[in-house]
Amino acid sequence: MSEPIVQVSGLWHWYLRGTPLQTVALQGIDLEIQSDDLAAIMGHTGSGKSTLVQHFNGLLRPHRGSVRVFGSDLSDPKLDVRPLRRRVGLVFQQPEMQLFDPTVGDDIAFGPRQLGCTPEDVRRRVRTAMERVGLGFEDFKDRYTFGLSGGEMRRVALAGVLALEPQLLVLDEPTAGLDPRGRRQLLDSLRAIHADGGMALVIVSHDMDVVGEMARRVFVLAGGKTVMRGGVREVFSRVEELRELGLGIPQVSELAYELRKAGRDVRADVLTADELAEALWTSSTSPAT
Amino acid sequence: MDEFDFARNVTVGQYVPGRSVVHRLDPRAKLGGFIIVLAAIITSDSYIGNAVGLAAAIGIVVLAGIPVGYVLSGVKPIIPILVVFTVFNFLFLGNYDPTGSAVLWRQPVALGPYEFNFTVTESSMKQTVQGVVRIIALIVLTSILTLTTTITGLAKAIELLLSPFRVIKVPGHEAAMILAIAYRFVPTIADELERLMKAQASRGADFGKPGRLRFIQRAKQMIPITVPLFVGAFRRAERLIMAMESRCYIGGHGRTPISLPALRRMDWAALASATVFTLAVWNFPWPL
Repeated sequence: MSEPIVQVSGLWHWYLRGTPLQTVALQGIDLEIQSDDLAAIMGHTGSGKSTLVQHFNGLLRPHRGSVRVFGSDLSDPKLDVRPLRRRVGLVFQQPEMQLFDPTVGDDIAFGPRQLGCTPEDVRRRVRTAMERVGLGFEDFKDRYTFGLSGGEMRRVALAGVLALEPQLLVLDEPTAGLDPRGRRQLLDSLRAIHADGGMALVIVSHDMDVVGEMARRVFVLAGGKTVMRGGVREVFSRVEELRELGLGIPQVSELAYELRKAGRDVRADVLTADELAEALWTSSTSPAT
Repeated sequence: MDEFDFARNVTVGQYVPGRSVVHRLDPRAKLGGFIIVLAAIITSDSYIGNAVGLAAAIGIVVLAGIPVGYVLSGVKPIIPILVVFTVFNFLFLGNYDPTGSAVLWRQPVALGPYEFNFTVTESSMKQTVQGVVRIIALIVLTSILTLTTTITGLAKAIELLLSPFRVIKVPGHEAAMILAIAYRFVPTIADELERLMKAQASRGADFGKPGRLRFIQRAKQMIPITVPLFVGAFRRAERLIMAMESRCYIGGHGRTPISLPALRRMDWAALASATVFTLAVWNFPWPL
């Protein structure tokens, strides 16, 4: 059963509102997220992606328009947003910067302890969260946080949010600055977490390969507006429009696009290397046929 | 009002680009002029003289084309200090009035074993009121200086003003550099603070008020913010050192500026009007 959990309509937001430095960040965003969604929000730097997702757990309130998250209206100034923050886990850009506790286990336990969980429950949540991101509980729980590698620290930070057991997980540029192995491990973990069910996933990124690999639905932002939306294959087949916006498409799709332009008969909605190989093999211009 | 919007309330250290006369003044002339006006404000011993000083400061804000409300919002954070300062000065300063001016009000108080007086004299009242006006004028003046001057310009001006003291081994260039770096990172650290508070709030941290006197809880709440903030600040400092060293930065000795424009007529006019203003405030026979 899928139902809408986030509904954004006509959302406007200004930075430094009421000062001479005021700038508009969002100008009329429309978007909705379903309870079993695997969505991506794309857009280049300054398009308002990060500002938008900070509305999902009430860090920012709408200046105009409406945001409803799990049925709560964020325009209501009396709304207590704290219960919302347990249900919506927000992982910021470079989340390894927010670690503060000397040991890994205690840092991940920060969230559950704030929620007032019993010690047994805290332990269970930390263990589950660590295993979900591929950090062995016994191996890592007493390790020194600031002695970990960058990729490990990022997984600790992700576990710290997962330990809240949210129903919606939002990740802002989750793979930025990771090496290929760290990136692969992180994406595999995320895919497994979503496959376990019970959690909607929203990935904010300008890395087309991450979006193409992970997302089912895509929202494209530009200049604080929602300019494109739809299934991932549909959006990535609108190559010219995306290029116009300063965005690209996944490398594999790009290759398929160039081959098609060069007169080869290749499907338009190729996203992965395997799909491209298959498309080339079965195409009418293939030497195999 | 947004919960985490800090940058909004920080006016000192911000720069608002503009094309006004105040913006276009040479930083050296601007800093000199501001110091001269400041002298008038902090030394004038008349009510009207102080009011004129404050009015002049606000006049400069208007001239710079910056909303007066925005500059005055920079005073907001220190209102509690001002209130405490005013109340104590008002009640007690008269007890220590060395000028022997007329006593306006005296009230002996007995609080258990302690006995003391509330005293207001003509001179203590003036001191109290002037104190508040001067502090506000000071904040307005310093805000307008940083709001209309780039950091590099300001650093150069400070370096120049400190250069006569090189004879007595005052490291003017180093002082200016430290100041410029400190200013440069105020908005960066404020952004970082906001980001960290948001990130920890997303993990269930609660930065609400734990009660007025519960300092320890308050400090504990802040650990998830302060630790990463310091870690980040040190990392940034190291990177800055690396960047400066890789550009062969060695400090002030023997360095010359790429351009040192002479002061224009406008700059001299600003300096002259500041001087005239200050002399006028000093010498005018204010009735009050």
